[in-house]
Amino acid sequence: MKRTVILLGLLLAAALACSPAAEQPQPAQTTPEKKPLKVGLLTPGSINDDGWNAIAWEGLQRVKSELGAEISHQETKTPAEFQEGFRSYGARGFDLAFGHGFEFQDAALAAGKEHPNTIFITTSGNSVAANVSPMVFELEKATYLLGIIAARESKTGKAGLVGGIKLPSIEGTFTAFKAGAQSVNPNFVVTAVYTGNFDDAAAARLATLSLINAGADFILHQANEAGRGVFQACTERKVRCFGSNKNQNDLAPDVIVASAVLDVPAAFLRMATLVRDKQFKPQIQYLGINEKIVSVIWNDRLKGTLKPGTVAEVEKVEKQIREGTVKVPRGF
Amino acid sequence: MKQIALAALAAFIAIALLALAAGAFGHSPSAVLAILFEGSVGSSFAVRETIIKSIPLLLTGLCVVIAFRAGVWNIGAEGQFIVGGLAAMLAARYGVAASFLAAAIAGALWASIASLMRLWRGAPEVLTTILLNFIAIHLLGWCVNGPLREASGRYPQTDLAMATLPRLGGVHFGSVLALIAAIVSWWMLYRTTEGLRLRATGFNPAAAKFAGINVAAQIVRAMAYSGALAGLAGGIELLGVTHRLFERFASGYGYAGIAVALLAQLHPIAAIAAALFFGALSSGAGELQRSANISATIATFGQAVVLLAVVAFTSRWRKRDA
Repeated sequence: MKRTVILLGLLLAAALACSPAAEQPQPAQTTPEKKPLKVGLLTPGSINDDGWNAIAWEGLQRVKSELGAEISHQETKTPAEFQEGFRSYGARGFDLAFGHGFEFQDAALAAGKEHPNTIFITTSGNSVAANVSPMVFELEKATYLLGIIAARESKTGKAGLVGGIKLPSIEGTFTAFKAGAQSVNPNFVVTAVYTGNFDDAAAARLATLSLINAGADFILHQANEAGRGVFQACTERKVRCFGSNKNQNDLAPDVIVASAVLDVPAAFLRMATLVRDKQFKPQIQYLGINEKIVSVIWNDRLKGTLKPGTVAEVEKVEKQIREGTVKVPRGF
Repeated sequence: MKQIALAALAAFIAIALLALAAGAFGHSPSAVLAILFEGSVGSSFAVRETIIKSIPLLLTGLCVVIAFRAGVWNIGAEGQFIVGGLAAMLAARYGVAASFLAAAIAGALWASIASLMRLWRGAPEVLTTILLNFIAIHLLGWCVNGPLREASGRYPQTDLAMATLPRLGGVHFGSVLALIAAIVSWWMLYRTTEGLRLRATGFNPAAAKFAGINVAAQIVRAMAYSGALAGLAGGIELLGVTHRLFERFASGYGYAGIAVALLAQLHPIAAIAAALFFGALSSGAGELQRSANISATIATFGQAVVLLAVVAFTSRWRKRDA
């Protein structure tokens, strides 16, 4: 017993001795009239996941480097933690707090009521209050353009879609793809398959092979990490396909014609800039081609193999979408 | 008395090691300790968050205490928590009381699947309860994507539950219920013949059988009590905090209950302190992330250290007592 107490004492002493003097709190900046923007972020998972959460963290970093904001982040697993995080940001006078997922809506509304001076933004969702808004990405505007490419280039007149979980946002991108394709060829056939998750690459590969066997000669995926399986199958069978969410052109450079790219960090930066400039309006924040959050990025290696006029046609329709003369169906 | 000292020591060591670990990653240990304190009990806001997090921990902790006391390794609190939440959701239209009753019954029935498999084929609960967890997780996933999906059909979550727990000073009423559950569990274990039989079964099933206890039936009942507590935890979490179901509804409360029970040395009253400790650790870890950008894994690390210290000390003391 005595030995344990001594050991414990030593541990504590060591803990205190380790405190480096350099970490003393720095005095506040000498220009008090320009308070730095304070921005918090709650993610539903680890920011080292190389996916959904990592991209939000990247967005927060961009807010810090480009706006000089003071940033804070918490990984939150339960609604109790969502509320704790949001309330804590509100109580400490943060200007803006992001919740990275639709599941943060309830917590945002509750904290928004208690802390009217903080703006709460959820990534996707439909809850709006005076200081609460969701940002909704319009990836479907890019997949509409991919549909045009598929319909112009396909020999079989069929394309396949591989989805992870059947979420409205994913169905929306498929609806738009189909609409884009049928704007070129009204008889174009589009078949969608859902694997039920976002990480089983083997299931995505099998789903892709079955679509190819059924005659599809263009594949679009919305399966996040499982998308690797789609590219494997397309490379094996030399069937052309599209990347999605990120610029995936380099993952399978022989078969990916273009990627529908969603620049999430830019969306975070845009919202933070609006809040800083007091331009924020409570509404569903649609972020798409006009806001330069969504775009189609060509694979330069395959651009030359396309039929003449395809690239020009896509660029023309993109301009029409931008001007509002072509309406892309949202599907939800 | 010795046991309390031991648990406190384990908790103390864990915090010291946490501070040291943070030191190894370039943060000042004293600053880390200050933030941990500030974020867990340093303000009325922090205390509230700590209590809210401790409520499900206490109930799942009690669930594990009761089962372990009867010698049954129920590590299925996670699954029982989920079916409790599901049942409470379905019964919410009939009010809070009906919800909680449904949650407790659902948890008890879910746990009973494991005890029935033990009776029928001698399947060990360690396996069956953990497998039942996965079944419950997928059952919930199917429900929120299918029959219970919100009316607008937009996201894989249910609509808001039709009942809500009243609040007491910023903390929902579940805090009182959890405390009552701890006291009732203690009373049942130490002041009733049922509790005596239950503990005897756990202590030495052969001797208990010799003394005329129906060991099989006793285990079935213990599992049902245990499951009912975890189910109730799910119901309280639903009506007090989340107000709706979604796929990650349980998010580890069931497994954390094992840590609570072990730190409490399987004592229902000590479980109150253990749950508050882990609740505080988790709130403090949140604050560490927000104000010092120290990873959330630090709380998990702290939990692991506490458990290792408790296990190491108990075996050491047992050896000395023998």
